Amino acid sequence: MTSLTVSSPDLVVRVSGLVKRYKQHLAVDGLDFTVHRGEIYGLIGPDGAGKSSVMKALAGVLQYEGGSAEVFGTVVDSERAAEQVKPRIGFLPQGLGLNLYPELSVEENIDFFAKLRLVPEAELRERKGRLLAITRLDHFRGRLMKQLSGGMKQKLGLICTLIHEPELAILDEPTTGVDPVSRRDFWAILAEWQSVNGMTAIVSTAYMDEAARFHRLSFLSHGRVLASGTPAEVTALVPGLVVTFESTPQLEAVARLKRRYAQVESLGPSVHLFTLERDAGAAEAEIREVLGDLPLEHLHTNEPELEDVVVALLLKEQDGQAGVSGRSSQAAHSATISQFDGLAVQARELVRDFNSFRAVDRVSFDVQQGEIFGLLGANGAGKTTVIKMLTGIVPPTGGEGRVAGEDMRTAGGAIKERIGYMSQAFSLYLDLTVLENIRLFAGIYGLARRQSQQRMEWIVAMAGLSEYVHERTGRLPMGVRQRLALGCALVHSPRVLFLDEPTSGVDPIGRRRFWELLSRLAREEGVAILITTHYLSEAEHCDRLALMYAGRIVAEGTPADLKIKVEQEVGQLLEIAVERPGAALAQMVAAGFSGAALFGTKIHVLSRNPSRDEARLREVLARVGFSVGAVRLRMLSLEDVFVSRVMALERAAQKEGQV
Amino acid sequence: MTARQQATTWGRRLAALTWKELLQLTRDLPLLLFLLYSFSLSVLVSGAGITMQLTNAELLVHDADHSPSSRELIHRFQPPYFAFVGAIRDPREGLRHLDAGRAMLLLEIPPRFHEALMSGERTAVQLLVDTTNAPQGLSAAAYTVRIASLFGAERGLAAAGLSGAKASLPMVTSAHRVWFNPTQDERWFQSIAHVLRMTTIFAVLLPAAALVREKERGTVEQLLVSPLSPFQIMFAKVLAMSGVILLALSLALYGVLHPVFHVPMKGSTGLFFLLTALHVFTTAGFGLVAATLAKNQAQVGMMTLFVVGPMLLLSGITSPYESMPTWVQAVMTFSPLRYYIDITYGVMLKGAGLNVLWKSVGAMLLLGGTLFGFGMWRFRRQFQ
Repeated sequence: MTSLTVSSPDLVVRVSGLVKRYKQHLAVDGLDFTVHRGEIYGLIGPDGAGKSSVMKALAGVLQYEGGSAEVFGTVVDSERAAEQVKPRIGFLPQGLGLNLYPELSVEENIDFFAKLRLVPEAELRERKGRLLAITRLDHFRGRLMKQLSGGMKQKLGLICTLIHEPELAILDEPTTGVDPVSRRDFWAILAEWQSVNGMTAIVSTAYMDEAARFHRLSFLSHGRVLASGTPAEVTALVPGLVVTFESTPQLEAVARLKRRYAQVESLGPSVHLFTLERDAGAAEAEIREVLGDLPLEHLHTNEPELEDVVVALLLKEQDGQAGVSGRSSQAAHSATISQFDGLAVQARELVRDFNSFRAVDRVSFDVQQGEIFGLLGANGAGKTTVIKMLTGIVPPTGGEGRVAGEDMRTAGGAIKERIGYMSQAFSLYLDLTVLENIRLFAGIYGLARRQSQQRMEWIVAMAGLSEYVHERTGRLPMGVRQRLALGCALVHSPRVLFLDEPTSGVDPIGRRRFWELLSRLAREEGVAILITTHYLSEAEHCDRLALMYAGRIVAEGTPADLKIKVEQEVGQLLEIAVERPGAALAQMVAAGFSGAALFGTKIHVLSRNPSRDEARLREVLARVGFSVGAVRLRMLSLEDVFVSRVMALERAAQKEGQV
Repeated sequence: MTARQQATTWGRRLAALTWKELLQLTRDLPLLLFLLYSFSLSVLVSGAGITMQLTNAELLVHDADHSPSSRELIHRFQPPYFAFVGAIRDPREGLRHLDAGRAMLLLEIPPRFHEALMSGERTAVQLLVDTTNAPQGLSAAAYTVRIASLFGAERGLAAAGLSGAKASLPMVTSAHRVWFNPTQDERWFQSIAHVLRMTTIFAVLLPAAALVREKERGTVEQLLVSPLSPFQIMFAKVLAMSGVILLALSLALYGVLHPVFHVPMKGSTGLFFLLTALHVFTTAGFGLVAATLAKNQAQVGMMTLFVVGPMLLLSGITSPYESMPTWVQAVMTFSPLRYYIDITYGVMLKGAGLNVLWKSVGAMLLLGGTLFGFGMWRFRRQFQ
């Protein structure tokens, strides 16, 4: 068997039957996959799916119990075997800049790793220059690593991993918590290293929208492969259509649809559902039938995204465990429209300085009762500080704000009685049980015994916790913990809810279920919800959004408005299927399509005049012998919006600097 | 809201937080076991094992006389104070034993010792003492001086023809009465001292660790956005931990000190527990201040070590407070343990009441209030 694998020069990684156990917990449960030379291979899955364990096993830093992890034909099962392959691989562990030295500068960090890997001086200089240029870090050579932003740290981490030109790069969640702009830079380096140097890479990610960047991928769940193949192959596993439309009252519509469809979500004013029906007309007819007398407007259908398919697969795996559908119908009737008037949050010119650093710079926005307002931005953009000021943890340096009708500077106590807060870390007491946690927060808010009993029952029912009430919180899956944290934040029926990155580390189904809870809170109870997230795809659920960058709000509006505005400014998104996309991209850039970027096997480019540009690029590529496949128009994602806004700001700042 | 409703709400909040602390503690099995051990077995061991008195000092003898007098003198070095480890012929061999640590004392009796005594001449014996362990060495030397001079005096009197009741030479003897510890049982002092040590360590560590853990996990932010005052957050911890420590203390008191060492409780038990609670509250202040400065449990562990170490060494249970340099005494005015020692020995062994101890109690109150206030100020500030 082994002689066979060695003889295939194309095979870089072969994982077969891999098993890794942590005490009783089975982290990797018989995993198989192979990676070929020159591929960018993705491992996608929620926290705890086993991604890190596989990567560490391949990098030779983790022992495993069963099966084999083979790199370059060597089974990595001993320290000696690991030493053999280590010179040929680069490993970036999970966590922002954890492999770097905070007290060294950017350049010193790179030089250190180069010396460790015995990179000759001349090559080091050339590579360093090239890598720093692509990552736009060349202005920061002398800056200490600890003074870099999260995204910059991660880019530096990647440079240090690639400086010895490894044949295989193993990158563990390199883009988690990194701002979208840095993420794009990150993918640009990988694409370049792959197409120019022929490097192979295994990359893990929790972002479903990054799946299109991979040549092939495996979706992991509970240590097993749920689906694998090219993005197109995985998407084709569950054929169907995504239908988006508007219907009022939205809650009633969602409740009716839920009885028929497994995946129904409300995204702002519209409803988003996944149907197994392949024909658009038939799908519409079916939906009309389910909706009955409810109106149906603005309907359009799309090909399903990877996330829709993965959720469908996960639902199939859970096999009806998802008891989401039953409950939502009962409350739907209580919703009477717009009884929730009034401003819940008013921020006016909020400023917060930490010593000489301005974390929040004149931020203003309003949130209405019953509205879900999203504050988006990278780590360090100032989102958390805004929330901390509004909740009274941190006093503002300047500006003013009103929360739940009270001035936040003078009525801190009154505000605290009326708001709920859920922090990044789901601040629960992990050594207490679910019930004990709820009871604690009921006590903290001074609820009397009868009252707290009622709220407890409500929370357990609302968050679907009945099977966990006597479990220690630390033993619960992330998705359940998250719902418990939400429940604890709601124990005193607050009018305003602050959620600080509440979905990090939760699997796609858990995230959807959570959002469903949030929209019910907003629509039925009129709770105002201010939420921060760096999952831009999630932000589609918000009624309104504000994008934060470097402490400022750089764009505000509904998700649709923001996209339209950016589309008007920079154009529509064309997705081009072409063979040998790496080389084709170089041709396109040479021909003047400057913003073109590689997404796995496809090329993305923005165009103000799609029909004219399509004709031109077909001509350009045909002239040099590339056969162009389908060219599709795609909706801009919120990430596109964010990146284009931030890039415009950076350009403006540079111009200002030059003048 | 009426004042009464406000008070109920306030009480409910404090109760909820205190209950949470207790629940969390019961979930921490290793810590509970350590607590249990510290107030039971470990008290037993240190009470029985630690002694400052001279015991088993290894005695080596070079007897160059081999006479009845020399034998009688040697015979006076008795266990449990001394342990005879052997006789040698060559004094240089004795020095080697001393160097190697096989003996602590080398007694040399010169030739003609008996003869000299009989003929009424002055004579001397030599004692070499290893004073590496200074207190032990010094008391060995002192004991030897006493033994030798008593021996000499008896021989002198005998030589003068006076002995027993007929002796009417002018002499001063000290007739002492032992108070508060009539059987002179050193285990009383040591076992109580150990309980004080443990009480102090846990009083600093438990609340500090509980607060830092909340900082580490981020739960403290959740508490800060809820309508709780810093006082409630911190006081609930101290309240819960004081309760636990008092419980552990009664285990030590009624499980070890009374039944095993027969340590009495001369004063009021209630007063003792009340003042212990005050000590725990005051000492916890140090822990809470440390917890507001530390970022994680490792740091707070080191900081409390920094505070607790000197406190234990210099407050008067390891060495007498009165014999310390004045500046150390001045620094130790800020150690609550220093007052608590007075209080404990006062209440337990001397039966003292508040009328005697009011100064110590006042000092603790002042210190505790200040520390707690400072901790609260730091707590508010650290997040801003």
